Amino acid sequence: MQGLDLLRFNLRLISRQWFRTLMVLLATAVGVAAVLLLTGLGEGARRFVLSEFALLGNDVLIVLPGRKETSGGLPPLTGEGARDLTLEDAEAINRLSGVKDVAPLVVGLTTVTAHGLNREQMVVGTTESFFNVRGLNVQQGQLLPKLDLQRPEPVCVIGTRVWKEIFAGRPVLGQWLRTGERRYRIIGVLEEKGVGLGTDMRDVVIVPVASAMQLFNTSGLFRLFIKLQHPSQVEQVTTRVEQLIQQRHGGELDITVITQDAVLGVFNNILQILTLAVGAIAAISLIVAGILIMNIMLISVSQRTSEIGLLKALGASAALIRLIFLSEALLLSLLGALLGIAIGFSLLWLGHSIWPEFPVAVPLWALFGALFLALFVAGLFAWLPASKAASLPPVLALRGETSDV
Amino acid sequence: MYSSDYLKLTLRAVATSKMRSLLTILGIGIGIAAVVMLTSLGEGLRFYVLDNFSQFGSRIVAINPGKTQTGGMGGLMSSTRPLTLEDSNSMKSLPHVEYVVPLVQGAGAIEYKQRVRNTDILAVGSDMNLAWRFPLIMGRALPSEEAGYSQPFAVLGYKVWRELFSGANPLGEFIRVGSERYRVVGVLAEKGQMLGFDLDDIVYIPIDRGLALFNRVGLMEVDVVYHPTVNAEEIASILRRHLILRHGAEDFNLITQDQMLVSLDRILGILSIAIAGLGGISLLVGAIGIVTIMLTTVRERRAEIGLFRALGATSRQILLLFIGEAILLAILGAIAGIFLAGVLLMLLFYFVPELPISLHPIYLLLALGLSVVVGLAAGVLPARHAAQMSPVYALQAE
Repeated sequence: MQGLDLLRFNLRLISRQWFRTLMVLLATAVGVAAVLLLTGLGEGARRFVLSEFALLGNDVLIVLPGRKETSGGLPPLTGEGARDLTLEDAEAINRLSGVKDVAPLVVGLTTVTAHGLNREQMVVGTTESFFNVRGLNVQQGQLLPKLDLQRPEPVCVIGTRVWKEIFAGRPVLGQWLRTGERRYRIIGVLEEKGVGLGTDMRDVVIVPVASAMQLFNTSGLFRLFIKLQHPSQVEQVTTRVEQLIQQRHGGELDITVITQDAVLGVFNNILQILTLAVGAIAAISLIVAGILIMNIMLISVSQRTSEIGLLKALGASAALIRLIFLSEALLLSLLGALLGIAIGFSLLWLGHSIWPEFPVAVPLWALFGALFLALFVAGLFAWLPASKAASLPPVLALRGETSDV
Repeated sequence: MYSSDYLKLTLRAVATSKMRSLLTILGIGIGIAAVVMLTSLGEGLRFYVLDNFSQFGSRIVAINPGKTQTGGMGGLMSSTRPLTLEDSNSMKSLPHVEYVVPLVQGAGAIEYKQRVRNTDILAVGSDMNLAWRFPLIMGRALPSEEAGYSQPFAVLGYKVWRELFSGANPLGEFIRVGSERYRVVGVLAEKGQMLGFDLDDIVYIPIDRGLALFNRVGLMEVDVVYHPTVNAEEIASILRRHLILRHGAEDFNLITQDQMLVSLDRILGILSIAIAGLGGISLLVGAIGIVTIMLTTVRERRAEIGLFRALGATSRQILLLFIGEAILLAILGAIAGIFLAGVLLMLLFYFVPELPISLHPIYLLLALGLSVVVGLAAGVLPARHAAQMSPVYALQAE
């Protein structure tokens, strides 16, 4: 028998038992579609989180005040160390070799007032280089001016939501924004962008760092971003920064230097494991589908005993009989898997068209893994029925006698 | 026909084709096992997290400075109108208030002789041990301040004590916390981790010293523990009114433990159901298996059905027979599945004992009920097929 014959033979069988075929296809398709759907969502969640957090390039270091011994856990994110990270420290770091720019950050909450409207607002004190580091730009007006770090200036750049909420979208450049007893002239409005899971840059007021320190009466920085001259210098500059701060802080290393990749790496790992676990759980259903295939093949063998006997009488070897039954199972499974892939992808596509912000992507390993598993399980579970058919004695089989299954 | 007849006929039908029934049962069993296992893991996780949160007691109201939409971050940032130590102290005299614990968190180096450990520093009020139910294994708690001034005393977390003193008696010894000298007065009992935050790796110092050390005016949070005589809403409104009176505006965020637990419980409950739903996919495939096998059975037993009908069985009785068979298969599957899940969970528990697993008898009953539903749904189509078969046609089968 040639391959083409085998295929034609199987197709005729499959189409004759159309209901049974349909159910097996359905079972396999549900399993494969579930694997694709869930891994697709998991992978989508991973990409979503990464893109939301990946606001900084890989040439940016983040310096946090405070230090903890245990590595692997969360870095000291509260921003309180026994000794402040000061503007002088920032200036000193800026003079290190390999450092292109530094962007100090002071963050606080206050009520801002304009036109008799109040709004509890996050105020960010920083410098003009922060815009570069975070990839922000203005849609009107200008960025913060290049200032000496220590020099306060009563100017501010506001986020789009602040503009819409307080000024209802009217022209704002040159207007005053009050906070407590201070006031700042609005010189720019940010682009509608940067809706990260971290900080919503649409809802901030950005002022020069020295002004923010006056406003909140603090001398310590919340964070310090360091932009490197080249991404490959991460290690060297980290060491240099740590040595410098240790020197400046009386021999005590009380800061933590991290890169964004280090933080994201943790997330990445967790989400990848989660995707794998969810895919594996869905794959259990493929095993159930395999059991169904085995059951169907057993029934099929018992129903087609006389046919097997005829084939054997005509000189078909046991190996050929086994091949016929195995290939039937594999063909069923393949068709089911293809159906499942079609269903899975169309569901994902449907989801994506309803919710376009969420990236869905089926990882290749899941696609091939599901296909392979479906075929493997079908082959494994069909082996027993196929062997059973192959070992039937031709004489008994011709008479249509077989032990009940 | 009596119900015992139904049972006998169905049992015989299932027993006749052993291999076929066994495989069908196995299919359903794997599905049920997946659902049971994932549900117990999900519920175990839920209890674990809730337990973690309620170990501080349930009568806690947390107040954070700053009123924003972002929430949660308020205490970490600076603010023009901070929540001060005076605010915290003023709440002590309010009715129904039991303990007030102001707190500021930071990190720094802790030194003892030659050893240095960089770790978390928590500056807290003196009622901390009572309010959070942190028992001491040695020494005493932080004393309350006198005349607005606290002694430089520190209480060590269990792990800090082990690491810095290697188990030696630390009481009365001097340590340096961020370049200031503190005398160790107590050591806390081991608490373990809470959601990735190691509670034993902390040094506790008096709040006013902490504010000075970190050079800040505002507290990060104030925890208020109230008497059981009032409920959460009442105490929340008392605190809110009091603070608004002091601040002139609601520039703080107030959340009761109840609110937090309820929202947490809801999130985890949904998660748990979603996880169980994943297992349900396998159950669905198992149900497809029942439908397929039953339909095949109906075809094969056409003669038998014809005979039944000829003997006067109504089509309703035939329907019941086949639905009964489907349900029996499903229930046997459920029992096999529960057994399988039990073995797997036991293995899991043996190898990963720290995994929170909660296997409640209710879930097992639910799994049984679920299997009946699955059997019913899967049995209807083949059973109707059998019931609607015309007796004459059915008898012609052979």
